Amino acid sequence: MGILALYIIGVAAACALGMMFIRRHTKGRPTTYSNLSARRKAEPYLFLLPTMLLLLLMFGYPLINSFIMAFQNYKLTAPSKIRFNGLENFQKLFSETDIWLIIKNSFIYVVVSVSGQFLLGMTLAMALNKQFPFRGLYQALVFLPWSFSAFVIGLMHRWSFNGEYGVVNDLLMKLHLIGSKIAWLGTPGFSLAVVIMAMIWMGIPFFAIMILAALQSIPADVYEASYIDGCGPIRRFTKITLPYIKPTVIITILLRTIWIFNSFDLIVVITNGGPANYSQTLPSYMYTKAFASYDFGLASALGVLLMTVLILYVTLFLKATNYNKAGNFS
Amino acid sequence: MKPYTLQRHLGNFGRTVILLVFLLLVILPIYWMFITSFKTNAEIINAQQITYFPREITTENYVQLFKLYDYKGMLTNSLVVSVSTGLCITLLSILGGYGLARYTFKGKDAMLLFFLVTQMIPGILVIIPLYVIFAKLGMINTRLSLFFFYLITNLPFCVITMRSFFERIPYTLEEAAYVDGCSKLTTLVRIVLPVMFPGIVAVFVFAFIGAWNELIAGTIFINTADLWTIPVGLKSLIGKYDVKWGVLMAGGVCALLPTAIMFAFMQKFVVEGLTAGAVKE
Repeated sequence: MGILALYIIGVAAACALGMMFIRRHTKGRPTTYSNLSARRKAEPYLFLLPTMLLLLLMFGYPLINSFIMAFQNYKLTAPSKIRFNGLENFQKLFSETDIWLIIKNSFIYVVVSVSGQFLLGMTLAMALNKQFPFRGLYQALVFLPWSFSAFVIGLMHRWSFNGEYGVVNDLLMKLHLIGSKIAWLGTPGFSLAVVIMAMIWMGIPFFAIMILAALQSIPADVYEASYIDGCGPIRRFTKITLPYIKPTVIITILLRTIWIFNSFDLIVVITNGGPANYSQTLPSYMYTKAFASYDFGLASALGVLLMTVLILYVTLFLKATNYNKAGNFS
Repeated sequence: MKPYTLQRHLGNFGRTVILLVFLLLVILPIYWMFITSFKTNAEIINAQQITYFPREITTENYVQLFKLYDYKGMLTNSLVVSVSTGLCITLLSILGGYGLARYTFKGKDAMLLFFLVTQMIPGILVIIPLYVIFAKLGMINTRLSLFFFYLITNLPFCVITMRSFFERIPYTLEEAAYVDGCSKLTTLVRIVLPVMFPGIVAVFVFAFIGAWNELIAGTIFINTADLWTIPVGLKSLIGKYDVKWGVLMAGGVCALLPTAIMFAFMQKFVVEGLTAGAVKE
């Protein structure tokens, strides 16, 4: 507790000092140029000091820790036996029986979710890109899932796809599409499909919001010119709309891919990885490993591996799409 | 565009169909959760006959939720953690966003890259070492641990968002204030922040919702029922053999209400915030 108190006091003091410094040195108008530039050099660091301090201490430092743990025999249940063990964790990882199934699941989960969200989000955005009555109200409703928690969305889907009392089975049977009830969450393949459906449902609004904003930023006169030149709707889409929204689409897909890959609350709530790891992905597996057996070494090794893959993916993706604003990610 | 009349009619029809499909897609799962929460348990687990509107409307699930499962406690915990995270992040993002928007300085690119990298890290990779650190500091099973975790996970995005809001405000506005003899801080508080109101609201909503909705860290850092946040508390209702669907759905409805209302009222600001950085006008 002592270190923490010290830390909080430190951050607070840094903030206060920064504020005082800024106040003292910026009162009134700057008189000489040299004075101004020296002062301006320190200012941005002061503004960013609290944020950086927090992130370095509570994000950077733990991160370094987990990189170290990845090469250690680190079990919380046996704290006296913590020692370096080289690449043993990584070897153990690839000798797990289900690891290839889990890698395959992760791949399917990410690719299908991202493309589903993108295609449906794009469709919604195009449909919204024109004035119609009650558009504001419609948007407020249809974008609502953005604010929902993955946990509640997971609950909704788990309940709807319930094998016995679920509404989905009932509807499908009433439409005579299936003859008997399906145990969606207990069948390999179907369980992952339900997770993916929930994920797509949750992510459509974000894609639609981003793409709609990009669509609305296209100047109207470009379209007018194309009408005059006799451009058809398909050409108009491929030659005007797509190039204009491309940067937004690229950055949105990039961010969402990473986010979807890393997020696993839906899996925990809907299937908990079941049946028998058939809906397990790498991060959800890591979570299970870390907090079921308290084998932090193994889990960290997996995490380090995931991070490497993600950074590789980002680099390649940005290269392949010729996107050069890597720092500008929001 | 007269020659296109038929095409336009077809286009309008197609658009209406698409819009209706999306509306149903969003509303049906919510409707199902909502009406399940008002059914009696007997009606919920009647597999022979699934009802699409409760035969008998009851509030027993909500009563149970508050009486039996201490929903009020969860609500308090969630509120305390989310509001404090939201306020703290808003303050820090105003400072950081201003620094990033108004200055070029050494190490700025590195800083932005660091922010970007934090977005790529699997959350659990930070949770594991933080668990060890928090355990050493005696912070496991305190709201403080959640506060710090939500703070650092949401901060980078919020700072960047705030930066794009600052960048939209012309610098001449500030200059005019300096000419009139305002100090930097006075200018920021009196002149810039009022114009920035949408951005500030958006960032607060991001941080609040981020903290309100989080489940995983909650299950790891908190282990006694009295400190559970809403998702963690509700998750405990999913037993191995017995799931209290009625109560769970009631809990789900209550958990969605605050963020949904927030979103409905602040939608314009939130959408602006989400798209502020990615779409340059």
